Amino acid sequence: MASFIQLLVSGLATGAIYALIAVGFTLLWQTSQTINFAQGEFVMLPAFFVLAAMNFGAPFWLAILISITLSVVILGLVFKLIIVDPMLKHGVLPLVISTIALSLFLKESAKDFYSSQAQPFPALVPSIDLHVFGAVVSVQSLAVLAVAIATVIALHLLLNHTRLGRMMQATAQNPTLARILGVPVRRMVLYTFLINAVLVAIASVLISPIYLAKFTNGETLGIAAFLAAIIGGFNQVRGAILGGVILGVLDNLSAAYLSSQYRAAFPLIILIVVILWRPQGLLGRLEERTV
Amino acid sequence: MTPVLQVANLRKSFGGITAVDGVSFEVREGEILGIIGPNGSGKSTLFNCVLGQLTPTEGEVRIDGKPTTGLRPCDLNRLGVSRTFQLLQVFPQLSVRDNLILAGQEHQGTMASRLFGAADAGLGEAAAQMIEFFRLSHVAAEPAGSLSYGQQKLLDAAMAFMAGPRLVLLDEPAGGVNLTMLANLRERLQAYHAERKATFVVIEHQMEFVMALCTRVLVLAEGRVIAEGLPQDIRKNPIVIEAYLGH
Amino acid sequence: MSRSGAVALAAAIIVALALPQFLKGYGIYLLSTWAVLTIAALGLNLTLGYAGQVSLAQGAFVGIGAYTAALLMQAGLPYPLAFVASALLCFAIGWGLGYPALRVQHHYLAFVTLAFNTLVFLVLRNEEWLTHGIYGISGIMRPVLLGWSTAKPLAFYYFCFGMLTVIAAALWWLIRSPWGRAFVALRENPIRALSLGLDTRRYTLMAFAIGSSLGGISGALYAPLVQFIEPNSFALALSFNLLLMVIVGGSGYFYGPFVGALIAVLLPEWLRITQGYYLIVYSAMIMLMMAFCPYGLFGMVERAIKALRLRRAPPAPAAVSALQTERPRP
Repeated sequence: MASFIQLLVSGLATGAIYALIAVGFTLLWQTSQTINFAQGEFVMLPAFFVLAAMNFGAPFWLAILISITLSVVILGLVFKLIIVDPMLKHGVLPLVISTIALSLFLKESAKDFYSSQAQPFPALVPSIDLHVFGAVVSVQSLAVLAVAIATVIALHLLLNHTRLGRMMQATAQNPTLARILGVPVRRMVLYTFLINAVLVAIASVLISPIYLAKFTNGETLGIAAFLAAIIGGFNQVRGAILGGVILGVLDNLSAAYLSSQYRAAFPLIILIVVILWRPQGLLGRLEERTV
Repeated sequence: MTPVLQVANLRKSFGGITAVDGVSFEVREGEILGIIGPNGSGKSTLFNCVLGQLTPTEGEVRIDGKPTTGLRPCDLNRLGVSRTFQLLQVFPQLSVRDNLILAGQEHQGTMASRLFGAADAGLGEAAAQMIEFFRLSHVAAEPAGSLSYGQQKLLDAAMAFMAGPRLVLLDEPAGGVNLTMLANLRERLQAYHAERKATFVVIEHQMEFVMALCTRVLVLAEGRVIAEGLPQDIRKNPIVIEAYLGH
Repeated sequence: MSRSGAVALAAAIIVALALPQFLKGYGIYLLSTWAVLTIAALGLNLTLGYAGQVSLAQGAFVGIGAYTAALLMQAGLPYPLAFVASALLCFAIGWGLGYPALRVQHHYLAFVTLAFNTLVFLVLRNEEWLTHGIYGISGIMRPVLLGWSTAKPLAFYYFCFGMLTVIAAALWWLIRSPWGRAFVALRENPIRALSLGLDTRRYTLMAFAIGSSLGGISGALYAPLVQFIEPNSFALALSFNLLLMVIVGGSGYFYGPFVGALIAVLLPEWLRITQGYYLIVYSAMIMLMMAFCPYGLFGMVERAIKALRLRRAPPAPAAVSALQTERPRP
């Protein structure tokens, strides 16, 4: 039982990180029909920004800020203006191909310009363990949970309780109508890209102490993002959060109780099962069939 | 004599909005039924429910007495139902001739026989006749996307007729067509109707077109049938006039 | 086909037949790789370019074909039987995977196939009793066909090229048949196609299954070509590569995969000058290409020809506006 609680807590922590990644992914899809196959690499990269900044002498907290800024500029602004915008008029498929190429580009860049070796990454809090109900719970897991929950709450407040947030929601649900109502749609879409950049940067800082900063992190994290978004229901932000948490918990439990060789298979099988039996995910709306 | 089309208590809701609210009607063989109504009255939704494009929330559709609610459009087409579209739906990269062959090929033999048989699925002759009938001979080999709007409308109708359907549903056939072409289109539709004894159901906004073409008219407003009868009576019906002016 | 097109095709065939005589072992190996991968790309072009389905699993089917052929040959089966078994098995798996997967929206299929590819890789890696796991299968023999040994590089190349020609001819027949017309309808306007009685689900499934089967055939040729196969060759990277081949050549164009595969095979050789940065350059080029010419090389050529024709003989206004609203592929 004790180890179950441990796994549950660390699963929730990982799940919270997956949730952040999945929320950003879902937002991009909702507002601009962008399926960002490079989302995993987007999470891999900011950690390297932090390490590079620290190599130049910046203290950890400053390096994180620098990384978030760089992330917003490169993975938000530049990504949207240079890659997504010119591509949108050509349809969804060229954009998909571009993001696949982008994921390769970012991965190889990290490998060639920083290092192909896994880099240790400093944790936000020292690794102390708490003893709760006989279970050993790491303070780090709790810290991750706290940061992730705070971020989600902040995002929720932004989207639902500010005028800006409501305009973004309108853009996501019905861009044509939003435009007629005077919402600056292009700017709203830009903001979702910037928000995604912030979310992936935060996720990066949270997950790199656990996974280490490796250029290959993007592959697993990308699949986790797609999975979480789909399980929760592609067209719902709340669903992405739920999907991420479920995925994190199941992933941790399966690592402990199932064969390690096929550990990676478990989320993939869930993905296939969900898509085939309940394509709208747990919370999504069933899109009217077209075929 | 079983009606060709029977719609009973059809209801379709999208979330909080009920687009079609308990519509019932019948269409007998050889009739040309017109369905009119102000914008938003649920005409297109009704069509899409009958044709399998949407699944009705409630209610039943029968073709020749057989229940067909929820069948896919391709299955309905094999039962002898076809349609034209409000927004043009030809295949722009294929030639006019190929568009027509495509429109009929799925009714020729089986999928396997079509793979190993003739490239035109034996429809070369039939396509040529249809091209003749709709007076498109001079553009037969052109890609459909290069035709004028009116010509594409004719092609759209031709494609709907290619498989010799019993029941044809036409969705705003007159939309955006100039007067000369309109007369041409109406005349061709009437000629086809007379020759093949087909049954038509037409959604239309243009009154003159409806009056000239249809044998009976149904009026929808806010998802319900508010009037039904002969074209000349409907024109004078105060409820109908109110529904149009009231919007 | 236009006269210039026929001339170009004839010239290309002559080059393909004659060139290897002047090349050394490695050059012939590259050409054989091109021929084999083109078959897989042709299959993916059918699925993506004609039926409009994004599949990220073609690499897995190449892998299944390769392993099936290799294992059956090691078990003593003659090559032709192993070859056919690979093709049929991949067709069946494609049908089985596609049947539920194609009922959902397009973007979901990309994820399902992505997951499937990774699962196949995991099975190939983990089931050592069958596949020898990460140690792979080595010593795969090249077949002897009707007394003719394909062991030498040149002989095996002609065998591969011969298979490519046969498959291309079969595909050409398919595209010209009513099925081909149905596939175009599927891609251009599935709603209209449905209303004309076209069972879009069945045709899409068929395109996916045939495409997968061609992946299997490619694998059955790949195994004796490289003579040593291991799971890493058939991971997602191969599926991406095949996808890029189809896109770069021009998705939906019959000859697109031939050109796309050629570029994909030759590019690493040309980019050797950039040393380790070849992948960065490659991915950057892809992104540029998608921004400026997402229709691939054949798409670009088609547009250039159309533009030339418009300039030479300006048509009536209605036709011009119709051309401008023409839906771009894909």
